[in-house]
Parts: sequence; structure tokens; C-alpha cells
Amino acid sequence: MARAGGITNAVNVGIAVQADWENREFISHISLNVRRLFDFLVQFEATTKSKLASLNEKLDVLERRLELLEVQVGNASANPSLFAT
Amino acid sequence: MAVPVEEAIAALSTFSLEDEQPEVQGPGVWVSTERGATESPIALKMHSVIINHRLPPSSFVEYSDVSAYRLSLSEDTKALNQLNALSQEGKEMASVLYTYRSCVKALPQLPDSMKQSQADLYLETYQVLDLEMSRLREIQRWQASASSKLAADMQRFSRPERRINGPTISHLWSMLKLLDVLVQLDHLKNAKASIPNDFSWYKRTFTQVSGQWQDTDSMREELDDLQSLELDFALLFPERHILLRVLPVLVVLVTSSEKDSESLYKRVKINRLINIFKNEAVIPAFPDLHLSPAAILKELSTYFPKFSSQTRLLTLPAPHELPPPIRAEHDDFVIRFASAMNQSTDGSDVEWSKEVKGNMYDMIVEGFQLLSRWTARIWEQCAWKFSRPCKDASPSFSDYEKVVRYNYSAEERKALVELVSYIKSVGSMMQRCDTLVADALWETIHAEVQDFVQNTLATMLRTTFRKKKDLSRILSDMRTLSADWMANTNKSESELQSSQHGGEESKANIFYPRAVAPTTAQVHCLQFLIYEVVSGGNLRRPGGLFGNSGSEIPVNDLKQLETFFYKLGFFLHILDYSATVATLTDLGFLWFREFYLESSRVIQTLVAPYSPPHPGYFPIECSLPWMLVDCVLESPNSGILESVLMPFDIYNDSAQQALVLLKQRFLYDEIEAEVAKLVDQKVLLLGRMINLRSLITERINKVFRENIEFLFDRFECQDLCAIVELERLLDVLKHSHELLSRDLSVDSFSLMLNEMQENISLVSFSSRLASQIWSEMQSDFLPNFILCNTTQRFIRSSRTVPVQKPSVPSAKPSFYCGTQDLNSAHQSFARLHSGFFGIPHMFSIVRLLGSRSLPWLIRALLDHISNKITLLEPMITGLQESLPKSIGLLPFDGGVTGCVRLVKEHLNWDTKSELKAEVLHGIKEIGSVLYWMGLLDIVMREKDSMDFMQTAPWLGLLPGGDGQIVTSQDGGDSPVVSLFKSTAAAMVSYPGCPSPTSFHIMSKQAEAADLLYKANLNTGSVLEYALAFTSAALDKYCSKWSAAPKTGFIDITISKDFYRIYSGLQIGYLEESSQVASNSHERLGDSVAWGACTIIYLLGQQLHFELFDFSYQILNIAEVEAVSVIQTHKNSQFAVQGWESLLEAMKKARRLNNHVFSMLKARCPLEEKTACAIKQSGAPIHRIKFDNTVSAFETLPQKGA
Repeated sequence: MARAGGITNAVNVGIAVQADWENREFISHISLNVRRLFDFLVQFEATTKSKLASLNEKLDVLERRLELLEVQVGNASANPSLFAT
Repeated sequence: MAVPVEEAIAALSTFSLEDEQPEVQGPGVWVSTERGATESPIALKMHSVIINHRLPPSSFVEYSDVSAYRLSLSEDTKALNQLNALSQEGKEMASVLYTYRSCVKALPQLPDSMKQSQADLYLETYQVLDLEMSRLREIQRWQASASSKLAADMQRFSRPERRINGPTISHLWSMLKLLDVLVQLDHLKNAKASIPNDFSWYKRTFTQVSGQWQDTDSMREELDDLQSLELDFALLFPERHILLRVLPVLVVLVTSSEKDSESLYKRVKINRLINIFKNEAVIPAFPDLHLSPAAILKELSTYFPKFSSQTRLLTLPAPHELPPPIRAEHDDFVIRFASAMNQSTDGSDVEWSKEVKGNMYDMIVEGFQLLSRWTARIWEQCAWKFSRPCKDASPSFSDYEKVVRYNYSAEERKALVELVSYIKSVGSMMQRCDTLVADALWETIHAEVQDFVQNTLATMLRTTFRKKKDLSRILSDMRTLSADWMANTNKSESELQSSQHGGEESKANIFYPRAVAPTTAQVHCLQFLIYEVVSGGNLRRPGGLFGNSGSEIPVNDLKQLETFFYKLGFFLHILDYSATVATLTDLGFLWFREFYLESSRVIQTLVAPYSPPHPGYFPIECSLPWMLVDCVLESPNSGILESVLMPFDIYNDSAQQALVLLKQRFLYDEIEAEVAKLVDQKVLLLGRMINLRSLITERINKVFRENIEFLFDRFECQDLCAIVELERLLDVLKHSHELLSRDLSVDSFSLMLNEMQENISLVSFSSRLASQIWSEMQSDFLPNFILCNTTQRFIRSSRTVPVQKPSVPSAKPSFYCGTQDLNSAHQSFARLHSGFFGIPHMFSIVRLLGSRSLPWLIRALLDHISNKITLLEPMITGLQESLPKSIGLLPFDGGVTGCVRLVKEHLNWDTKSELKAEVLHGIKEIGSVLYWMGLLDIVMREKDSMDFMQTAPWLGLLPGGDGQIVTSQDGGDSPVVSLFKSTAAAMVSYPGCPSPTSFHIMSKQAEAADLLYKANLNTGSVLEYALAFTSAALDKYCSKWSAAPKTGFIDITISKDFYRIYSGLQIGYLEESSQVASNSHERLGDSVAWGACTIIYLLGQQLHFELFDFSYQILNIAEVEAVSVIQTHKNSQFAVQGWESLLEAMKKARRLNNHVFSMLKARCPLEEKTACAIKQSGAPIHRIKFDNTVSAFETLPQKGA
């Protein structure tokens, strides 16, 4: 009866397996770090986006305020007499 | 090589990154495309086709590297791959079937005019339908071939003589999965009515399978697998559901003949089966389809009579509930998980200890198990709900409404929301730390495997298996194919071999972990070998795989083998970290309802169904995610509000499924439409990247403006008394603005208020509110309100016609105070102030208008006084003309009666009663304005004192006696200036000061503030100012109203001065008010006295008036008469009789007049004509001497400004 197991050339397979372990260590090391790098980039992008968004928000507020001030100044300088005491 | 990479990556962590940012690109795992070791998630995404079951990773690996291990498994691998390919195809077919929608309804009908082209239409229709039908035919063909292949495969691998190695465990799994796909396809075909369904197909397929079945041995193996159902170990829910679905079919197959069933029941206890079926009465198959094992058994009972007798036991199971302990589980797990992760991130350069890594591994495993349990629970509850439609629903509900919309109680919805948010939060937490934990996981797994292979197996080889050549050979094969000797510093391979043969080695190997996981093929082979060891090649062994009976292996070893066997199975899930997390947190099935859409015929066409609102379309309220959002919004106090965005995750998942798994664009479109609609009701959706924050800010800004606008609108529809309410509501709004601006950058409130008041321009002093108040005063308040001197309030006269106003607009409760209850409470408060105008209203006006618009209003009112005086002038002239030439003092001997008659004779104004009334009204309005100014004065005084109290300590001022202000320091700087100066000096002298100029600027600003506040301190009195103005306005008419006597003496008889006119008017209206019960008083109130007395006083006629006023004279006469009555005791009191009420009114008038005069004397001493001035900027100038002309008062802003 052909029982299972029975690796035909056990020593060769053992050597190959050993080599495989080492190769895979290298591969997984590289790929994990690539993934980490990618993760970092993604996170970095998200952070940058959020910072830009909050900056944008502030700029928006400033812009609106500036517009208002401009109108007020324009209005005031059209009527200089009012400010002559 | 490795070190620089690691260092470089670690250096990246020195960047400060913000947590909790949305990940637009997805996790980093997408970039890696490893195959073989752990298969890539991308491959999984691309290949996993069935919607609800992403199969465990092993099913898609091609096992191409298995042959490298030389275990003669090539036949097995080939068959395995074939089966996997088949089940993948099957899943694709299933998704086609599931998403199939009848297109017959979409076929056009020809109008009568085109009858001649009927044949063409039929042809076209046929072509369209033929395409669809060909897909169905293909499915049928596939089903036939797949079932025959499966049968052939089973036959081939389960022959007792075992000419080929196999079947391996993965192979068995593949068989089960293919069987599962077949069952699902069948079920789907039965359930979907639109597919031309031949039920016999099922039977044919089935008999084909069972007919070709010669040997039922492999069945038993699979039933062995099913025992793990009871073990509940190392199984994720998709696998569990597969097993549950396949089990009844297997049972039926095994019991296909009488004899077989006998033998089955010997080995497998029927009660165990029954128990499983009973506990899992409903198994989910598709999002809105479920299977019931009992039903399957029943359906097939005609074929298998033996089993059918048992099915009646399977009827009454318990319902699925979402139990509360989940919350505790969740909280506990989250805390422990976070602390484990924090522990590991403490110092990034420190190598983690083995314990930390092991702890991390345990946490991950626990997390997977929790997620699996929770998601399975949702699946099962969902299926349960589908199988038990709502009982008491009205017949008008569609089927889907019965099973979903009305089938979840409020608590169930809440629990569902909670559970979904738990799953999502734990899932995202785990997803986020993927790369963080990856190498720790690999290392732990590596250590486990090596520990087993190098230590446990070595021990076993030395002891138990020493004598058994066959078995020990298998064990050493296991070592060969997975041991990592080089990671072991103690031994080389040769050394080990010697020790292996020598058998003297006793101490356990110490190996250094390597962060590499075993490959799938290794796991596959290890599992196979363990299986071989345990079963000993004997498939007919009773009692299950790891049952102890009849085995030649001791219990301890068996136990170890078993544990490792199951661990191996779970390693694959852990290695496939992110795909496993994604599978376990995928809740997209909650959206899908293809089956019910069809059966209830709500969607009739294939075109995008959400575009127009049409009764035939699917009502969005029925959608489960939608219901969950509603549930969250409707119960704002239940603490689940933070989960309000959670249903978007469900939509996300379902959209993913629609695109990647089902590959149906129309489903994606529908989901997108639904999300758009959902979002549209809450926020605005613009494209894919949503800056929710800025959208909300924008929206809030708009809402604030709308709210302010609404409040002003509301005020404009009410009278002046509503000013208190307006102020309160604005305060509420301001407060909510303050709270919101902590999180959002909302526009400043005062800016918005100014904007809505149209008060932005620097040179405009009026505002919407000020002009509204002014026009309200002009048109309603001054003519229609009367003054009560005692209570200091104006009330609406009952005699006036109500002014027509537009009806008060209504708005959402959030525009007032928030909720209905708060609003009604506020209403009852506001009602207290709605009936009068007094000090509180004045406070509101002062606060709302501020120093900007208040001068404008004062100016407008003063102009009003001056206009009124101008208007009065001709009328008074008219009255003067009709006075007789001379009116002497009233004779005492006439008595009261006689005098009253005499006065009436003198004042023959009967023809001029209208003129009289108008003059009185004019005087009343002047009086009202003046009294109003008095109120304003009181309020401003209070406000100014408050300001003074607050600023005085900073400005170094002390309140001195007599209203004077004393400076506390002599000529020096005020405290605020010296404080900032010294601070600036100290900071600048400090060498490390970053920006000395800013401190200089600050001290300069303090000086400016000092100047500004000091200038505003000496506020004047508005009332005095108003009186001075009135006096100046009266000066023009001095000659007419107060003629200088020609003789130089006081003119008594022929005087036609103002006081005389008013005397006449006063006695007239006193008489009227005493006759008809308080008639004219109700129309005029106390302000007439204020107006008239002020004019008299300012004209310098106070003494004349007090001496010669008719009523005063009559009062004197009445007094004398009363005295004489007491003295003589005659019945002359008869003379006074009948005049009591008139006399009483006169006395009252005299008291009031005296009050006014005394007040005037105090506030506006005639000897010096001084007053304060108010500059246009609102800054008052204290007590300046004026020329008595109106032009002196033109510092106030004009009405047009």
C-alpha cells in the first residue's frame, strides 16, 4: 500500500527547504517594509490633506473678513466728511 | 542590506502624523502581490466571486509549489485546482442568477400605428431574450458538468485501495465548497421566480450525483469535518455557514439507501445532527435569501423516507437575538487591544520581547474570533428575520417591508446599529495596525511551527514512534519539509541528524525566530501528513478524526497533533491578515434585496430606479441602512449618535460587492443613488472626496443667517414689546454659535448679525432693527400706547384700532430654542413681556442696538418731537383765536358749580372738538417720547455704571463724591498701561525673548485702550439732552406761546399763552374722563401731563400755570367751600355735591403735574441752559453750554444716514 509521506529525496528537499526559508525571509522583509512605506505615504498624504484643509478653512474665513473690511473702507472713504472732526 | 531599509522606514515614524485620518488609498497591503506564501489580497479580491463568502485563502492558491515537496500529491493537487476553478465559476454563475432581473417588463409595446413592424419587434425581442436565456442555459450546462465532475472526483479519491495519495484536507474542503455552490445555485434557482425555472433540474442533478456514488466512505470523512461545528474551534463564520449548508445534503446522500443509513447511524448519532439543525434552523445563503436545513430534508424526503420521520423535530427553534454582553466584550477587547499595541509602539527601536509578540498574536486571534462571531450573528439574525416575516403587518405592505421594515423592533435596530459600529471600529482598528504587527505575527507563527517540528516531533520520534517505521517516516517527512534549521544556532542539519539517530538529545532546541511564515503549501502538506499519521490510512475508522478508539497512538501525542492540526488551519487566516479582516467586517449584505425586489415586483424596469419618485419604485425607507440612520437620528438621547455615519460603511461594502463580486453596474448605480439621497437630506454631496467639515461649516453658516433673518422677520410681525423675546432668541442663537465655533470655524456672530441687519457699512448708523423700532414707534407705539406713570410702563390703549400686521411666520423648532418643550417654556416666559413696554424692553433695545444705532434712534425721536411741535403750532393758534378777549380769575362766591359753568362759557371751543383732540394727541406723543427718553436714561445709567465698575480698576479711577471721578494716581500712567509697559520692559530685557516687538506693540495697544475707555467714561444723560433739544425747538414759538406782557406785569386776564390753552384743554378732558367712566384717560394716559408740563416748564410758564390754571383754581375754591361747610354746618355742601369725581381727577392731575415739574427742575434747571451732547460716533460730551438753537444739536446722525 502506498502510504503517504515518503519524500523521495529527503536530504535534497531539506536543503531546498532551508534555502527557501532564507529566501523568503529576505522577500518578506522587503515586502513588509514596502508596505510600511506605502502606509506611511498614505498617512502622510492624509495628514497633509487635512492640514491643507484646515489652512484652507482659515484662508476662507480671512478672505471673507477681508472682503467685508474692503467694503467698509471703500464706503468710509467715499464719505470723508463724516470723519472730519 | 536589511538594516538600512528598516532604519529608513523607522525614521519615517519621526514625522508627526495626525491620527484618525481617512484613508483614501486604502491600506498598504494593496501594493504587495506575494503569491505562494500568503496569497495576496488583490488576488483574493479579483478571484473571490461570490458575494457573501470570501472563502478562506487556501482555496485560491494554485499549490504550484506543492510538488516541490515530493509527496506524490500531484494528482491530488490537480484535482484540487480543478474543483476550485469549478466552484469559482459556480460562484460567478450564482451572482449572475442572484442579480438577475426580469427584462420582459422593459420590452417596449408597439403602438397601433406600427403594427406592420410587429414581426421585427418580435425578432428583436427574441434576440434580446435569447442572450439572457443563453446565460441561463450555460448555467444549467455547467451545473450538470460540475456535479458529474464532483462525483467523479469523490469516487476517484475515495477508493479503498488508495492508489493515489489523497484526498488532502484542503481537497476535502474544496469538495465541500463545490457542493455548497451547487446547493446555493439550486436554491437560488428555486427562489428566483423570474428565471425560467425547472425544478426537475435539481432532482436530475441530484440523482446524478447520488447515482454515481458507489462508495460512501468519503462522506464519512466529511461528516467528520462537520464535527468541528460542535467544536467551534478555529473556524471563521463563512466556513461555518458552508458546513451548515452542506450538512443536510450530505446526510441525505449518505442515507440514500436503507442499508447505508443503518451503518451511518451506528457511527454518527442522529441526535447530534438533529441538535445542529435545531440550533441553526436558518442559515444565510444570500443577503436576502436563506436556507433551512429542515426544509431541504423535507423536500427530499420522498427519496429518503427514513430520515423524513425525524424532520418534524426540527420545527420550533429559538429566535436570534443580539445580546447585550457584546458591548462588554467589545469594550474589554478594545482596551486590551489598544494597550497591547501601545506596548509595542512604545519605543520603536527597542526589539519587542517574545512575550509582547505572543500577546499581540493572541490579541489578533481573539479579535478575529470576536469579529467572526459578531458578523455571523448579524448574518444569522438577518436570515432569521427573512424567514419570519412580521405577523401583524397590514396586507398592503410589500413582502420586503414585512421582513425588514416592520420586522425589526426599535431595540433590535438600536442593537444592530451598535453591533455594526463595534464591528466596524474593531475592524478598522485591526486593519490600521496591519503592518505594525505583521512581522510579530510571522515570527510567532514561525516559532510555533518550528517548536512543533523541532521539539515536539523530535520527542515523539524518540519515544512513541520509535518502533513504528511507517509513522516515524511520516513524522520525519514533516520535519524535512518545514523545519528551519538555520534559524537554530545550536545545531546544524548534520548534527541534528546524528542526534536524531542517536536519540540521546534530551534538551529542547532553542531557535532564533525568523519573521517568515510557512507557505500555504507547507501548511497544506503538514495538514495532510498529520491526517495521514492519525488516520493511519484507514478511512473507515469510527469516532471521528481524532477520536481515540482503536488508534495506535497514545492520547497525549494525539492531543498534541490535533491541536497543531487546527492551529495550522487558522494560521492561514492570520497570515492573510487584511483580507480576513475585510471578510469579517463586510456588512454589505445588509443592503442587498434582489430576491425581494423581484418577488414583490416593486422594481419594474432595469433603468436606474431612483431618478423619479414613482410608486412602483423601491421605497427608500425600506432600505435597512437607511432605517438604521433613521433610528439613530430619531433617538438622539440614546448615545448612539456617533454611529450616525456608520451606515455609510454598509453602503461602502455593498458598493464594493456590487462592483467586484457581482460585477453589476446597475446595482452600484442604485447604491450610489441611495447614498446620494441619504446624504442629500443631511449634507451636500460633491464628488468622491468629501470635505465633510467644510461642508458642514458652510451649511451652518447659512443656517445661522437664515435663523437671524427669521428672528428679525418674526420681530417685524410683532409689536415693540416683542423686543425682549427677540433678544432672548438671539442670545440662544449666540450661545449655540459659541458652542459650535469650538469645533467649526463659523463666521463671527456679530458679523453675521450686522450682515443680516444691513449694518455693515461704516457710515451707516441705522440698522434693520433700529429702523424697525423707529417705524414701529412712529406707527404703533406713540399713537396707541399709553403711559402709566406709577408702574413706569406703557401699555396698549384699549381704545385704539389694532394695527394690521402680517401673520407671524413659523419655523422649525430649532430656529427658536431647540425642542418643542424648550420652545413652549420659552413661550410662556416671553408672554410675560408681551403686554407692556418698560424697563426690560429698554434694556433689550440698548443691548441690541448698541452705541452704534442708538444715537440714530434718539435723533429720530428728537426730530419727531420737533415735528410735532411744528404741527401743533397752527392748531394752538386756532385755539388761541377762539379764546375770549379776557378771562379773569374765577370768583370764589360762585362756588364750584358756578366756576365750572364760567369756565365753560369762556372756553367756547365746542366747534373745535377735533382740533382739541388732535392737540391733546400731539402733546401726548411728545410726552411719550420724553418719558421714553427718561426710561432710556435710567437704563443707560445702569449700563454705564456697570462699564465703569469694570474698567475703573484698569484705568485707575475712583468714584468720588458728587458724581465726580477721581484718578488714583497723579499724572502717571493708568494701571493697565503701566502693567503692560513693565511687562514689555521685563520681557525685552530677558535674553531669550522670541519677539520683543510684539510686546512693544502690546504696550502701545494698552495705551490706546486706555485713551478710548477714558473718553467714554463721562457719559451724559439722554433725558437732559432731549429736554435741552425740546427747549431749543420751542424757542422758535416763544413769541407766540409766551408773549411778553406789554405792561411788564404779569398778564392775567388777556393772556393767551400756552399754559392757558393747556388749562382749558386739561379741564376739558378731566371733565370728560370724570363723566364717562375714564374715557379719554384710557386714550391718553399720563403722557399728556408729561408733554404739556415739559412745554410749560421750558417756556418758563410753570408759575403762571400753577397760579392761574382753571382746575387748580377750582380746587382752591372747593377747598375753601369745604372749610366753610365745616365752619357753618350749613347745607352748602350741596354745592360741592356732584363734583367729587371731577375734583378727584383734578387733584390727581395736580399731583402728576407737580411730580413732572419737580423732575424737570431737577434734570433741567432753567437758570443754565446746559446739556450733554452726543457725538455722531456715540461718544457723549458732558455738560456743554449751548446756544439755545436747534442747530446746536445737529451732532447726532440724521435719519437718512
